[in-house]
Amino acid sequence: MAVNRRDFLKLSATVAGGSMLAGGGIAGMLMAGDRGGAAATVHSVPTVCEMCFWKCGLIARVVNGRVVKLDGNPLHPQSRGKLCGRGQAGIGLLYDPDRLKRPFIRGGVRGDGRYRPASWNEALEITADKLKAISAKYGPESIALFSHGTSGDYFRSMVKGMGSPNITFPSFSQCVGARNVGYELTFGESPASSCERVDLTRSKVIVLIGTHLGENMHNTQVQDFAEAVANGARLIVVDPRFSTAAAKAHSWLPIRPGSDTALLLSWINVIISEGLYDKEYVARYTEGFAELAQTVREYTPAWAARETDLSESQIIETARQIGANSPNVCIHPGRHTSWYGNDTQRARAMAILTALLGSWGREGGIWLAPSAPLAKSPAPEFPEAARPDVIAGGYPFVGGEGLTNAVRDATISGNPYPIKAWIMVGTNLLHTLPDPRQTMAAIGKLDLLLAIDVMPTDSVMQADIILPESSYLERADDLFVVKQKEAGIAIRQPAVSPLHESKPGWWIARELMLRLGLEKFAQPANFEQKLKAKAEKWGINFAALTKNGYIPVRTTSGPYISESNQPVFGTKSGKIVLASAELREHGFDAVPRYEKVPQPETGQFRLLYGRSPLHTFSRTANNPQLNELVSENEVWINSAAASRLGIGHGAYVRLVNQDGVRSNRVRAKVTQRLRDECIYLVHGFGSTSPWLTKAHNKGVNDQQLITRYAVDPISGITGMRVNFVTIEKEA
Amino acid sequence: METTILGLNSATFPHLHIWDWRVALYLFLGGLTAGAMVMSSVANLRKDKSSLKEKACCVRLPLIAPLLLAVGMFFLFLDLENKKNMFWFYMTLQPLSPMSWGSWALLAVYPVMILFGLSVLPEEFYPRLPFAFLKRLAATLQPQMRRLAAANFVMGILLGVYTGVLLSSYVARPLWNSALLPVLFLISALSSGAALAIIMAKQDKAKLFFTKVDIWLLFAEIFVLVGLFYGHYSSTEAHREAIMPFFDISSQHFPYAISIILLSIVLPGAIVLKFLEVRVDHEGPIVGRAKTQMITSAALVLVGALIIRFAIVYAGQLSSLSRYTSIY
Amino acid sequence: MPRYAMLIDQRRCVGCMACIVACKNENKVPPGMYRTRVAETTAGIFPKLRMELRSELCNHCDHAPCVDACPTGASHKEADGSVQIDKSRCVGCKACMAACPYDARYVHPDGHVDKCSFCNHRTKVGKAPACVETCIGGSRIFGDLNDPNSEISRRLREHHVRVLLPEVGTKPKVFYINRFSTPGQEG
Repeated sequence: MAVNRRDFLKLSATVAGGSMLAGGGIAGMLMAGDRGGAAATVHSVPTVCEMCFWKCGLIARVVNGRVVKLDGNPLHPQSRGKLCGRGQAGIGLLYDPDRLKRPFIRGGVRGDGRYRPASWNEALEITADKLKAISAKYGPESIALFSHGTSGDYFRSMVKGMGSPNITFPSFSQCVGARNVGYELTFGESPASSCERVDLTRSKVIVLIGTHLGENMHNTQVQDFAEAVANGARLIVVDPRFSTAAAKAHSWLPIRPGSDTALLLSWINVIISEGLYDKEYVARYTEGFAELAQTVREYTPAWAARETDLSESQIIETARQIGANSPNVCIHPGRHTSWYGNDTQRARAMAILTALLGSWGREGGIWLAPSAPLAKSPAPEFPEAARPDVIAGGYPFVGGEGLTNAVRDATISGNPYPIKAWIMVGTNLLHTLPDPRQTMAAIGKLDLLLAIDVMPTDSVMQADIILPESSYLERADDLFVVKQKEAGIAIRQPAVSPLHESKPGWWIARELMLRLGLEKFAQPANFEQKLKAKAEKWGINFAALTKNGYIPVRTTSGPYISESNQPVFGTKSGKIVLASAELREHGFDAVPRYEKVPQPETGQFRLLYGRSPLHTFSRTANNPQLNELVSENEVWINSAAASRLGIGHGAYVRLVNQDGVRSNRVRAKVTQRLRDECIYLVHGFGSTSPWLTKAHNKGVNDQQLITRYAVDPISGITGMRVNFVTIEKEA
Repeated sequence: METTILGLNSATFPHLHIWDWRVALYLFLGGLTAGAMVMSSVANLRKDKSSLKEKACCVRLPLIAPLLLAVGMFFLFLDLENKKNMFWFYMTLQPLSPMSWGSWALLAVYPVMILFGLSVLPEEFYPRLPFAFLKRLAATLQPQMRRLAAANFVMGILLGVYTGVLLSSYVARPLWNSALLPVLFLISALSSGAALAIIMAKQDKAKLFFTKVDIWLLFAEIFVLVGLFYGHYSSTEAHREAIMPFFDISSQHFPYAISIILLSIVLPGAIVLKFLEVRVDHEGPIVGRAKTQMITSAALVLVGALIIRFAIVYAGQLSSLSRYTSIY
Repeated sequence: MPRYAMLIDQRRCVGCMACIVACKNENKVPPGMYRTRVAETTAGIFPKLRMELRSELCNHCDHAPCVDACPTGASHKEADGSVQIDKSRCVGCKACMAACPYDARYVHPDGHVDKCSFCNHRTKVGKAPACVETCIGGSRIFGDLNDPNSEISRRLREHHVRVLLPEVGTKPKVFYINRFSTPGQEG
C-alpha cells in the first residue's frame, strides 16, 4: 500500500484526536448523588492525569468537594496504580493561588504585565473579532496554532475550520520529530503509540542513547525499567552524564556529545562483520542490507573510538553483548531527540540497528502496536486551505505535525505569506522554541497573541488575551484510546467543578467557534451525551467506564511476530527499509553516514539539558508541592573544569553563550558526573513571569542560552545541543 | 562524595535544632539550684558549730533555691511546643524516660527545699514570714533540721545529676552520650552552688569554707571536662566528630572554640583567685579588695557554668550518628 | 496480629521522589516538612563512578529510643509493631527528636511532634502505605513479618539485607537490599 508519508501522518493525527467529547455534566452527575446531605461526602473519581503527557489513569479522592489525594488507577495500563511525583502533586496545581483565575486583556504594551480582568463574554467577543479581522485582512492561513496537550485538539478544529493549515506542535519540532521520521522511513511507523513500545521487562539487553530514564519520569516505562534492572537485564547507557540510568548500567559509555551516530554505525559494523544479526529476520523482512553492509564497512570500532572518546574494547564488547542477545535487545528509540541537526539520520541508525537485531516485533524489543477495531467517526469536513502551510515542501518528510520554527520564521519574514495571529494552547513558547529573541521578534509582528493556559507562564505574560483553562482535574476531555500491549479506552471526567472562572478547553473553543460561525466543528454543549454515544458505538458500557476509568477493548493483533501475527510495514515496499531510496531521491544519504559536529573550544562548554523527575518542562516550576522540593535548577560543572575556573560547589555563576547572551545567576553543582567539556541544566526554570510567585527568577532559563540551533534538513526539527557557553564567576 | 537529599526537615538538617537558650538556661538554673541545695545542706550539717546562730548559715540560700528553680522551669515550659498538654507529665511515670523521672523529681524537690529552708531559719527571722502557719511550721521543723538537710542534700544531688543523665541518654547525640556527662553536670552544679553560697553567705567563715570547697570542685570539673573530651576522642568516629566544633576556628563553629577558650580562662582563673583568697591571713572581716576578689571569682564560676551548659546543649545538637558521609 | 515492616530494594529505586509527594498528600504533612526522604550519593572519579539511591523514613524500631525517651507515653509501640504518636498526649518536649538516631521526626505546627505512621490508617483496612503504593520502581515493599508467605518475608529470606545504624541496637524494621558499584552485586 503506497501511502505518502505526509498523508499518513495527517490521517493518524486525525484519527487519534478524532473523537471529541465533553464532560461538563459528568461532575454534576457524580456530585448529584451526594447532595443528599451526609456530613462528609467522600467519593472517588477516576480520570486521566495531565501533569505531563504520558496520561496516566488516576483516581481522585474528593472529600467535601476538595481533592485530597491522587492515586494511580490500578486498572489503567499506563499507571498500573502508581503516580509519579508530578501526578501526586496535581493537587498543588489545582489549588495553586497563582493560577489564571479569569480572562485577562492586555492593558499596556506586550510584556509589561499590565492586564485588566474581563468577563468571558467580553474576552471571547474581542478574540473572535480580532480573529475575523485578521482572517479578512490577511487570509485565514495567517492564523497559526501552537499546541501541546489534550486541549489542543479543540483549537485545531477551530483553526482548520477557519481554513488555516498552520497547526504546529513543539512536541514534534522541538522533541520527537527526528525520531518519528527516522523510524517511519525505516519501519513505516513511529516506535511510539501511547508511549514508546519498548518491551523492557523482557529485554536481555537494554541500550539507552541519551535517554535518562528515572530522571525522565515516564511512569510505565520507568516501572518497566526498574523491573528490568531488578531482573538482571544488561544495561548499556550511552550518555556524557552519569545519569540515574547510567548509575544502574553494566556499561556506561561517557560518549563525546555529537558522536552517537559514530558509535551506532560501528556497532552495526561489528554486528554485521561478526554475523551477530538475526539473519532470518533480515532476509525475510528487510531490504537494502547489501548497501548497508557496504556503507558501514569504514566505521570500525577503532575509528569510532577516536570519534566518541570511548575505548575500542568497550565499543566491541558492547556490540557483542547486543548482538549475542538478539532479538531480545531493546534499542530505546529515545524521545527528545532534537540534538545536533543531524538527528533524523541518527534515528535511522537506531532503527536500522533494531531491525538488524530482529527486535522489532519481538520480545524484549519493540512490540507491535495493537490493532483495536474501533468504529471511526467521520472526519469533519474542514474547508480546504487556500494556501499550503508555511513549510510547503520545504521539509517533505514532515507530516501533519507542522513545524513551529517554520511558522516563526514566516512570522518574522512575512514569507511565504505573513502570519499575524498566534494561538498558544498549553505551551510556553519562550521556553520551548530555541532562540527566544526570535520568538519575541515574531511576537512583535503579530496582530494577535492569544494564550489558553492554566498557569501564567512567561509566554502567557506576552499575550494580548489570556483565557484561563481549567486543569485536568476540573474538566472532561475526549475519550482516550490507550495503546500499550493491550488497548483500551480511558475517560477523563472532572473530579471537581472548575475553580475560579476557569473553563475547560472544549468549552473555550466552542464559544469561540460559535462567534466565528464554526459551530459545526465545535463540541456540542452536551459533551457528556456525545461521549456516551461514542462509547456505545465502540461497544463500551459507559456507566462502567465512568466508574472504572478504563475499559479494555479487544485487540485483533498481538505484540509479537508469529506465523499468524505478521508485521505490516507501512513503507513503499512493505519491508523494513535499511537503505532508503526515498531519502536518496531527496538528496539525503540512503544509509546514515557519520557527520562530525563542531566541538566547543577550550574554555567553552557544550550546554546540555534534561529533566527532573519532579518537574515537567516549565509547567510545574510554580507548583507549591514540587517547588518546595526543587525550586531552582543548578548548573552541573565537571570537577576538574570547575577547579580550573576556581568555582566551588554551591557558588553562584553566570553562563554566557557564543552569541553573548548572559544568563541569570545560577548555583554551580561541581560534580564528577559529567564530561569536562559539557555543562548540564535541568530545563524549565528561570521564569520571568512575576505572576508565578514561586518560580519567578529562580534558577536559569536554558532556552535563553539556546540561541543557536541546527535545523535538521530531513525532519525540520531544531537541534538544540549546539550552544557553547563560558562560565563567569559571580563577583 | 556528592550527596543530594530531598525531603529534609529543617529541625534535623543540617543538624538537630530543637533546644535552644531556654533549655540551656534551665539547665544552668536547675544546676545552680541543685548546688545551692547541696551547699546549704552541707553548711548546716557540719558539726563544728555550737550555737544555732553559727550553725544556721546560708539561711537565705535554701529559700532562694525554689525561686531559682521556678524561673528555670518557666523557661523550660516556654520550650514546650504543646503547652496545654503539660499536665500529661503528671498523669504517668515512664520508667525509661529520664524526662519523666525529672518531671516528677522537679515536683518533689519543692517541698523538700521549702521545708528544709524553714527548718534552718533562725527564730529572729520568723517575724519576716508572711503567714502565721509558716511560723508554726518553721518552729516544728527546727528539730528535724538535720534530717531535712540530709533529704535536701540527696535531692540536690539527684537534681544536679538528672539533667546530665537525661542528655546522656540519647545515643543519637554522641556529644552527650557519655557516662561522664552526668558527672560533669553534677560537679558544675555543685560548683555553681558553692559560688552562689560564697556570694550570699553572710558569715566570712562560710564564705571561706565554700571557697575551699569550690577549689576542689573546680579542679574536679576541669579534670572531668578534659576526661569527657578525651573519652570522645578515643571513642567512635561519631564521637570524635562531636567534639570537632570546639577546635574549629572557622566562622561556623567560632562560638564553640570561643567557649573552650573562655572556659580555660575562667575556670583556672577562678581557682587562682580562690587560692589567693585562702592563702591570705584573714584577720577580721573580708572587705574591700578581698571581698571584690571573692565575689569576682564566684561570678567567674557562674559564668563558667553557664558557658558549659550553652556549649553542650548547642554542640550536642550538631553531633549525630551521621550516615551521609559514606557510601555503603 | 501482624508485625509490619518495610523492605527497600535500592536496585529498583530511581530517585523519582514520588514517595515524598504521595506521603505529604496522604498524611497532610505541613509544607516544608517531610516524613520520608531520598538521598542520592555518588562516589568515585569520572568515569569510574557509582551511585547509591536510598530513601529513609521512620524505622518503627523494635527497640525504639524515642519510645523510651517519651515522658508522657505519647510515643508508643503498637501491637502491629509500628511506633505511633498519640497527639493528644504529646507535650512537644522534643525528647523523642533528640533520641531518634534517624532524624525521622519533625514538629508539627499544631504543637505536637510527628513522623511516619506506616500509614496505619491505610494498613488497618488492608491497604499499603502511600509511599509503597505509588513507588514507581517497585522499590518499597511492605508487609507482615509474622506471615511467612508474605512478599516481604519471602524477599527477606532470599536476599542479604541490612538496616541503618545496626550497631545502635534500635532493631529497625526497615530493611535495605543494598546496591552499590556494579549491578548484579548486592552489598
